[in-house]
Amino acid sequence: MLEGAKSIGAGAATIALAGAAIGIGNVFSSLIHSVARNPSLAKQLFGYAILGFALTEAIALFALMMAFLILSVFQ
Amino acid sequence: MVNRSPDEVLRAAEAVHESSNEIAFLECLLNDLHINGVESEAFAETLFLAGQAPTIPSPLEQFSILPLIPMNIGHLYFSFTNPSLFMLLTLGLVLLLVHFVTKNGGGNSVPNAWQSLVELIYDFVPNPVNEQIGGLSGNVKQKFSPRISVTFTFSFFRNPQGMIPYSFTVTSHFLITLGLSFSIFIGITLVGFQRNGLHFLSFSLPAGVPLPLAPFLVLLELIPHCFRALSSGIRLFANMMAGHSSVKILSGFAWTMLCMNDLFYFIGDLGPLFIVLALTGPELGVAISQAHVSTISICIYLNDATNLHQ
Repeated sequence: MLEGAKSIGAGAATIALAGAAIGIGNVFSSLIHSVARNPSLAKQLFGYAILGFALTEAIALFALMMAFLILSVFQ
Repeated sequence: MVNRSPDEVLRAAEAVHESSNEIAFLECLLNDLHINGVESEAFAETLFLAGQAPTIPSPLEQFSILPLIPMNIGHLYFSFTNPSLFMLLTLGLVLLLVHFVTKNGGGNSVPNAWQSLVELIYDFVPNPVNEQIGGLSGNVKQKFSPRISVTFTFSFFRNPQGMIPYSFTVTSHFLITLGLSFSIFIGITLVGFQRNGLHFLSFSLPAGVPLPLAPFLVLLELIPHCFRALSSGIRLFANMMAGHSSVKILSGFAWTMLCMNDLFYFIGDLGPLFIVLALTGPELGVAISQAHVSTISICIYLNDATNLHQ
C-alpha cells in the first residue's frame, strides 16, 4: 500500500511542472516581442532571456525534486 | 534481515564466506561491513543468498557519501569522504589548467582553445561586479572580485563533473550548497552593516511610504531578505539533484530495453538511448547556466547591501 501511495504522491507532485512550462513560454515570448521591436539589442536580450529561463527552470526542478524525494526516500 | 529466525541468518552468513578459512578474505569481508554497513557488498550478497529479494536500487543511490579514510575523533566525524576527494581533484585540475595556459610569461598572443576558455572565465567576473556594485574605474569597489570569481569557478567546474560516469557531483548535496549560500549571505549582511552602519536597516523601507504602514512593511521585507540565504543553495542543489536523478532513471530504462533480446524491442531500443543522449546536452547547459545564475544573484544581493536602493 505504501508503494501505491508513493506513486500517487510522485504523480501529483509532477503536476506542478505545468506552471513552470507556462512561465518558460512567457519568457521566450517576451524575448521574441522585444527583439521584434529592437533587433539591434538581440544579443543582450538573449542573455537576459537565458537568465530568466534558468531561474524559471529552477522552480520546475524544485517540483521534480519533491517528486523524486517522495518516490525514493520513504521505506 | 527482518522476520527471519537466527538459524536462517546463521546459514546465510555461512553461505557468504562458504566455509573458507582464509584470514585475508574474512578480514576483507569484515572491513567492508564495518566501513559501508548496510550498503556493503557483503550485506547485499547475504540478503541475496538468504532468498530475500534485493532492494530495488533507487536513483538516489548515486548521491551516497562513502567515507574513504575514516577518521573519527570521539563522536565527531572527520572522515575523508568521496565529496572531499572530488573537490580536491577538481581544484587540482583547475590549478593545472591555469598553470599550463599561463606558462612562458602569460601564454600566446593568439590564444589557443584552452587559453580562450581561461580568458573567458577570467573576463566573466568583472562585468557583473562592475554593473552591480558600480565603480568601473575605482579599485575600492573591485575588492569583491576574487570572492565572486572563486564562487563562479567553484560551481562552473563542479556542476558538470557529475556527467563523467562513476564520478560524484559535489554540488548536488544540499549541505554543501547551503553552506556556501548561507556563509555568503552572512558575509553580505556584515558588509552591509560595515558600509552603512545602522542605515542598512533603511533598506527594507522604500521611499514614500505612509508612516502607519511602515512596521508591517519592514517585517514583511525581512522575510524575503532572510530567505535569500536559502534560495541560492536550494536552487543549485535542486537543479543538480533532479537533473542527475532523471538522467539515471532514463538510462535505467534504456539499459533494460537494450537487455531484452526480442525483435519488437529492437525497434524501441533506440528511443530511450536517444533520449539519454539528448538529455546529456541540456544537462551540461543547465550545469553551466546555474553557475552563471548563482553568481549573478550574489552580485545582486551585494548591490542591494552596499548601494541601498540607488
